[in-house]
Amino acid sequence: MASVRSGRPQPGAPPAPASDDRARAAGRRARPAGRAAGRGDRGGLVLYIVAGVAISAVFVVPLLWEVFRSLQPESAVTTPPSGANLSHLTFANYRTLLSGQDDIIRNVMNSLIVAVLTAVLTALVSMLAGYGFGLFRFRGSGLVFGLVLLAFMIPFQAVLTPLFLELHFLRLLNSLIGLALFYTTFNLPVGVYVMRNSFLQVPREIVDAARVDGASVMRTLLTVLRPLVLPGIATAALYAFLFSWTEFLGALSFMTNDSLFTLPVALSNVETGTYGAVNYGLLLAGAVIAMIPCIVVYVALQRYYVRGLISGALKG
Amino acid sequence: MAASEATGAAPGGGRAGGGRAGRPGRAGWPGRPRPRSAQSRRNTRVGLALTAPALALVGVFALFPLGFGVYISLTNWPLVGPYHFIGLANYQSLIHNSVFLQSIVFTLKYTAIVTIPIFVVGYALAVFVRANRPGTTLFRTLIFLPYIVGLVAESFMAVVELQPSSGTADFVLSRLRIASDTTAWTVRSGLATTAICVLVIWFASGLTMMLLMAGMQGIPAELYESARVDGASWWSAERRITVPLLRRSIALSLIISVVGSFLAFNQFFIITDGGPGTSTVSVVMSIYDTAFADTDVGLASAMSVVLIIVVGLITFIQFHYLQGDGD
Repeated sequence: MASVRSGRPQPGAPPAPASDDRARAAGRRARPAGRAAGRGDRGGLVLYIVAGVAISAVFVVPLLWEVFRSLQPESAVTTPPSGANLSHLTFANYRTLLSGQDDIIRNVMNSLIVAVLTAVLTALVSMLAGYGFGLFRFRGSGLVFGLVLLAFMIPFQAVLTPLFLELHFLRLLNSLIGLALFYTTFNLPVGVYVMRNSFLQVPREIVDAARVDGASVMRTLLTVLRPLVLPGIATAALYAFLFSWTEFLGALSFMTNDSLFTLPVALSNVETGTYGAVNYGLLLAGAVIAMIPCIVVYVALQRYYVRGLISGALKG
Repeated sequence: MAASEATGAAPGGGRAGGGRAGRPGRAGWPGRPRPRSAQSRRNTRVGLALTAPALALVGVFALFPLGFGVYISLTNWPLVGPYHFIGLANYQSLIHNSVFLQSIVFTLKYTAIVTIPIFVVGYALAVFVRANRPGTTLFRTLIFLPYIVGLVAESFMAVVELQPSSGTADFVLSRLRIASDTTAWTVRSGLATTAICVLVIWFASGLTMMLLMAGMQGIPAELYESARVDGASWWSAERRITVPLLRRSIALSLIISVVGSFLAFNQFFIITDGGPGTSTVSVVMSIYDTAFADTDVGLASAMSVVLIIVVGLITFIQFHYLQGDGD
């Protein structure tokens, strides 16, 4: 692991970071890594790592603890903790949760369908729009771009009621597709922004060469430009997926049919005991299940996530 | 100064490409002198076609509901049945709507409580992870995890852990002699708010950290080197170099955090359900209840319009204040 490998003192100029591609653009780090450079550096480094582990623990241990708690039998979750019930671990909560009765698998599938659909739609629509805004200067482009970004200024929480009525008229209430379209819309400002920047960074010569070769607009996009803007597409899709997977209020409002509930909405029913007696063991197991895709997807694709944050941070 | 030259050139040069359709070079598809009208017409056609899906979605699911909401707010629209145009009556009744007014006061108070800790903790974390030392990448990832996992799942966990006598919160805090082991967190509104604030600060600091870190890494290292040569202390370098150059990132992270807090719903709905009584009802929650429990869509829409105006004002003021004299 990177943290273990380079235990030697670092001189003033730090090495380029392995994972942050922005560092290359910025040219150098914010601050010499070796503030404490010199002979005392090894001690400083150890101190830094110890502090880092302690700080990280504050943020991660609660999550790990909940994973552990979800593996306790329900009786241990709802009685005062004692040494005895710490050692007894079981998958009982997960078995109950996933064994038909509460149909939580269906809710997980609903969440997954909506999240994947949202990610794909956001990536696709953002890519096309970014292509248009980035490489075609046209009359009214500023206005259209402004209108798309306006969705960023409208909090979706504030248009929930009219949207409920509108979705009702469009027969998109209680529809996974309707929910995905709603999520896509409110992910577009970020997606379009990121994609427009990606296309603006494509070297002019490449676009010209494609044109000279007689490639059509769409062919140029799909064969020549696609590999160049793929990181941007990943960023847009990742944001949309995480947004959709963790969203609660919209799904709670627009889904009234049990079988179409997404996972968070189904869990709020577990919490209030809609499916019978309140079972906190099940609630914990469900929350852990809700957590897993986020962690997997984020850890696998985090460099794309950070790219998005940076383009947002630099846009000002 | 070298740095200001470099950055000073960027905005003018970068934006210039975005000019009119006829400008040759950078931006348009065909980049050389050409019969202008045919090309620009083609550009407009292709450009509009490519951006149409995005515009359509935003129009249908964001802009239309916005206008529709303003219209509904002027009616007595129930969830089902006929409606009448009633002018500003909904807005007038808001002035006497104690639950809504209380929810505004509560949400402002909540926002005021969490904003500074999120910023201070986030800033300190950003300072900690901005340098590229062994382990920083891992630390960043771990500190950011609570934000990635999302407040909804964490709120469900909090429900279990805040239970009197069986939850982990009482177990740990009673041993630290901060609370008793039967403290019922959601029964008293002060306790409930405290617990939720702690949860949210833990959840959201990572985002502020990432945003500020991104800004900090864009600051040229020479500035710090020359400050050090001049004998500036760490603290004065931080105050004179980092903070001024970080204005945009600071503005952005504060706006995201303040607006996010003002739109809070999940944690209150899940952990307290607005209780005890209506003491922890947030603005969005009172809109939700008015629309879907009381089915008074007109009134709920009027509340939404007020919410949009308040959020817009908050954004504008912060943006103006933090960015205005920066450039």
